[in-house]
Amino acid sequence: MSLSDRVTVDRSRLSAWLERHALQLTALVTAAILVVMLYVPVGVVFVNAVLEEGGLTLGHFADVLTDPFYFGAVADVFADPLAIGTHLGSLAAWLGAVSITLSLEYPLPGIGLPVPWLAVETPGVRTGLFGFTAYQAALSTVASVALGLPAAYVLANYEFYGRRTLRSLTILPFVLPGIMVAVGFYAMFGRGGTLNSILGVVGFGPFAFIETYPLAIVILAHAFYNAPLVARLTVAAWESVDVRTVETARSLGASKRRAFRDVVVPQLAPAVLTGALLTFIFTFMTFPIVLALGGLQLATVEVWIYDRIQRLEYAEAATLAILETILSLGLTYAYLRYESAQAGFSQAASRPAREPLYPDFRTALSPRRLAIFAYGIIALVVFVGPMVSLVIGSVTDGSGLTLRNYAFLLERQLEGASFQTLPLPAIRNSLLFGAATLVIAVPMGVVLSVLTVRAGRSGTVIDTLGMLPLAVSGVVFGIGLLQGLVFGISLPGGWRLQVTGAIAIVIAHAVAAYPFVTRNVSPLLANLDPAMVESARALGASRLRALLDIELPLVANGIVAGAAFAFAISIGEFSSTVILASGSESYTMPVAVERYLGRRSGPAIAMGTLLLIVTAASFVVIDRVGGRSEL
Amino acid sequence: MTDLRLEGVSKRYGTDTGGTTALRDVDLTVRDGEFFTLVGPSGCGKTTTLRTIAGFEEPTTGTVSFDGQPMAEVPPEERDVGVVFQSYGLFPHMSVAENVGYGLQFRDPPTGLTVDERVADLLELVDLEGMGERNPDQLSGGQQQRVALARALAPEPDLLLLDEPMSALDARLRESLRRQLTRIQSTLGVTTVYITHDQQEALAISDRLAVMSDGQVEQVATPQEIYREPKTRFVAEFIGENNVFDGTVLARDGDRAQVTVGETTLELTGVPDSTDRVSFCVRPATLSRTADTNRFSVAIETSEFRGETVRTYGQWNGMPIILQLTAVPEGDVTVGFDPDDAHVLDSV
Amino acid sequence: MNRRTFVGAIGGGAVLGGAGCLTQDGDSDDADDGTLTVVTYESMIDEESAAGPWLKDAFEDEHPDVELEWELLPDQGINYYIERADQDMAIDADVYLGLNVDDLVSIDDNLADGGLFQALDGDRLDRADRVRSDLDMGDPHDRVLPYDTGYISLVYDETEVDEPETFDDLIDPEYENALLAQNAQRSDPGQAFLLWTIDAFGEDGYLDYWQDLDDNGIRILDDWTESYSGAYMEEERPMVVSYSTDQVFANEFGYDFARHQVAFLSDQGYANPEGMGIFDDATNADLAYDFFDFVLSNAAQAEIAQRNVQFPAVEDEYVDLDEEFDEYAHVPPETVSLGYDQLQGNLDRWVDDWAREFASQ
Repeated sequence: MSLSDRVTVDRSRLSAWLERHALQLTALVTAAILVVMLYVPVGVVFVNAVLEEGGLTLGHFADVLTDPFYFGAVADVFADPLAIGTHLGSLAAWLGAVSITLSLEYPLPGIGLPVPWLAVETPGVRTGLFGFTAYQAALSTVASVALGLPAAYVLANYEFYGRRTLRSLTILPFVLPGIMVAVGFYAMFGRGGTLNSILGVVGFGPFAFIETYPLAIVILAHAFYNAPLVARLTVAAWESVDVRTVETARSLGASKRRAFRDVVVPQLAPAVLTGALLTFIFTFMTFPIVLALGGLQLATVEVWIYDRIQRLEYAEAATLAILETILSLGLTYAYLRYESAQAGFSQAASRPAREPLYPDFRTALSPRRLAIFAYGIIALVVFVGPMVSLVIGSVTDGSGLTLRNYAFLLERQLEGASFQTLPLPAIRNSLLFGAATLVIAVPMGVVLSVLTVRAGRSGTVIDTLGMLPLAVSGVVFGIGLLQGLVFGISLPGGWRLQVTGAIAIVIAHAVAAYPFVTRNVSPLLANLDPAMVESARALGASRLRALLDIELPLVANGIVAGAAFAFAISIGEFSSTVILASGSESYTMPVAVERYLGRRSGPAIAMGTLLLIVTAASFVVIDRVGGRSEL
Repeated sequence: MTDLRLEGVSKRYGTDTGGTTALRDVDLTVRDGEFFTLVGPSGCGKTTTLRTIAGFEEPTTGTVSFDGQPMAEVPPEERDVGVVFQSYGLFPHMSVAENVGYGLQFRDPPTGLTVDERVADLLELVDLEGMGERNPDQLSGGQQQRVALARALAPEPDLLLLDEPMSALDARLRESLRRQLTRIQSTLGVTTVYITHDQQEALAISDRLAVMSDGQVEQVATPQEIYREPKTRFVAEFIGENNVFDGTVLARDGDRAQVTVGETTLELTGVPDSTDRVSFCVRPATLSRTADTNRFSVAIETSEFRGETVRTYGQWNGMPIILQLTAVPEGDVTVGFDPDDAHVLDSV
Repeated sequence: MNRRTFVGAIGGGAVLGGAGCLTQDGDSDDADDGTLTVVTYESMIDEESAAGPWLKDAFEDEHPDVELEWELLPDQGINYYIERADQDMAIDADVYLGLNVDDLVSIDDNLADGGLFQALDGDRLDRADRVRSDLDMGDPHDRVLPYDTGYISLVYDETEVDEPETFDDLIDPEYENALLAQNAQRSDPGQAFLLWTIDAFGEDGYLDYWQDLDDNGIRILDDWTESYSGAYMEEERPMVVSYSTDQVFANEFGYDFARHQVAFLSDQGYANPEGMGIFDDATNADLAYDFFDFVLSNAAQAEIAQRNVQFPAVEDEYVDLDEEFDEYAHVPPETVSLGYDQLQGNLDRWVDDWAREFASQ
């Protein structure tokens, strides 16, 4: 055997070995990335929760759990868990004082529109910061689902001009920095805002929407972010509903409504619940938006974590953050148990046909079409309004229209000094990091799905832990990146491992993004008949080939949906980017927005508008070029 | 073609202490070219056995070998087996021809044939000529099943594994496909392991079969032997309709013995001398009103008219008993059986 | 070809370069003698009219062999440097521009007393005595030299409310649901306003006063941008805690002056002086002293004031401001501010007690 023959044999052996172990290798790389970019940074902060002058302690947890400021009435229970009689007594007294009344109220100031109002009068109970945080998160979840589902219904079931574009654009709220959302909401709903200007034309107002209902506006802002998430997840599931199952139900005598309830709803439920779960977790850990729109009276746990970190009180911050994470992961685990119980074997072969939204004038006046029209107006106000108001804000000042903010961007680009933040590199970095994030996050997310989807209870546990990036306080993750990676990890021999700059940013983005891939892919993967993969393997395909030939094409919708989220997460990511980019030229569009924010918000808003335009353009272009699967 | 051997194969899921045991110490030998069936009620371990043979499950203990080669480290794709699943596992995003040709990417078609020719040959073999361009979801259940079979056979596997491939089809179609399957199998001579919970099917189709229960192999034998000489109570009751009774040996004369069941004394042959307690079975068809030995009276409960025969359910000595009569009885009946028609089981 | 266009030209590959690296202690390269590295906050560098670029050019013109290198303050602010010092890690920068008195308090709470920055040697500074004495932050370790100041005041809409004159006015029904303020946990003007009320009502009285403000419907938003650019500019409320330089912007961008009236409560404004200090590890202390003298020069003081829209830190005779700036940037008759001694050991508690009163529970 000649040397070159031997090399060839070795090489083909190597490639066979690689092919056979590709999944394990990807899993190992994924695990390594998670250790360096997630577990270590989060760990270095979390460990403060159980350390006290070098020793281990649970004292910090005891302090937080028994502090009525954090846990309200429940703190007494934590403080003295065995005094059951006392606790039951106070619960009974509380229940005895609840009163429920039904009355007519006029919720819109200045408009005589009576609404039946079910008032539940409860004697004041101290909910604590955690209680309030959970309360507003629950309301936000309900609002996001309520606003997201009709959008999913329309996008999945009706055909109309611009549907694909509209669907692509539902990603936009995702990439907007919190401060831009706040400014956009003030510009839309403020007393001098767009909505009042429009109402003024028809003789109403002005209404102090934000002043009158700060909590409602905060919840609406949360829905602005999260309803599109619910909608996108649900549309993907809706399009995967096997129309034959509906037809079967109809042929068995089910009414249209009954068939929907018995056949379609169960197939949508996992997606809707995924959206609800993610919304709850995100809004539980909401941060700038509550204070920006609602004020300190609506502070959440995350606000306190930020404050504790800023005052270098790491023990308390870590304790609060761990409690947040435990809650989020607990919910995630409960959901995933449900999801795995739902897995059935169906392959979406025939997706339902879409009906035209406005086939003719007569149909356009049907109750259903009118309801869709009404929803369209609400969506216009809640979703489009703030963004359009932002764009308007970027081209106006006290004396009317101006291009001065864009002139600033242009001038900065052309004449900016090397130490300044320039618009084009920010755009280029954002797009580049977004694309690179896809390359890393999609395999990570898919591998996690493949490894956990049929692995029973242990799979559910790993899957839950895989959702950690979503369940960790952003503030804590940020400070962990600083302490763990930017400052570096001490290794023996005086060495330090430091991870910063562009690659670190991309990997951090991938870590934040891969759970979206997993959550989009897992339910579809679980629905595939395992006999397909096993048939392929028996026919001679390696596990990798079976994945590439059979599973991936069949869950392409989920991968594309997850990839779109991953790209958007990368484009919009701020908190870890700003830490890893400091001192380098790896800043992105959201970082530029923040840096341009000064005593005048115009330049930042112009940059925010640019961020919206670039994102919208990328999604529309990718959708146009991308072919079969829709973004 | 291949000899298949399983030795001491056990499979446990979950931890050593908790968890469930799917297979206990299974020994099986399937001969080259044989049509071998695993039959048993659902949950008996037959599918786990097949998955272990195919390499989708690792046995907890024991070995699987093909032609004497242990398969422990060999992944499914290198075992040269063809598998047809209960749900067929057709690839919905590929045409029928692409499905059938899929395995030919990894294993060359028989010499002298192109992939397309091989695919066409197989479609012809399963009577699906000209269906290659269709999508699987445009086919009927029976056609899908045949595509799955053609796909499994395309790369000329050493071993064909069929996991309840007929269970989703109606009875009439099942019978015609069964004939087609045996025809193809004997034409190709491929060693085949077939799984079914349908004992009639198992008897009809197999060269030999293994009856499984609760993760164990109860008996391996030809259909005739299984039917006529079941070794265990489970096999006796599972294969065909049967009456199984327990009795006590009173006296012996060579392999003949006097056995009492309740208040009746019967004469049986083939009673082992080692034991005083015996279990034996008598098929309903061999219980006859005209037999002159081993007669006893049966209290009749219900009868079902079945054309040629009448199936009658009754009580004898407080035990349920099934008779096969020629007319609906009126009142209690007396039946008897020839000692040679009863079969004494190996275990009580 | 400068470095930036070079990076731009070779594109993505270069941008994606350099991530993980292993370094051994003592690796860090010491700065050239000719380079002064100055840390500062974002708006000094990146804002529209930022003073940073002017300072660099002018300083380098004055010192031809010197390069001034701006380093952007990391997101964590002073804590970044406190953490580094705490972990005995090198700090490469020489000068910190933008130091507040609460930064000094925080440093001393977390590091050894008088840590992070060098005590400044007055003899090495020619212009230190130009600095107004009322801006002295009272640092017992003499680490900081003010270079500009802002005054916290109220901005109000005269078409909706009369000018508030005292703190008590703010709890008058006339000003019900009128005032926007900022979260003192996160916001500089928010914290300044809180400290101002502590100055006015004392440690024992400020929470009662805030209770009255709460009863009168004050809204405390996150930071200045939300409360001003968001809520106030969209006419949510007629009054906001802001800066006394407000009209400079109203003038420049054509906003209605009626909505940009400045009110000094009790004829006071709370001064928030910004200072500069030299890091303990600085390799170029001499150059840093030169830079400080330059910052306090007439020209630099005027540029910083006008570009940052702040007030100079030097006495009036040492700086010439544009008339327009003088006209629209209002100076309170009397300034208030709490110094190092008052804040040390108290600030965190004050803010925390205050925030817990307000937050949702």
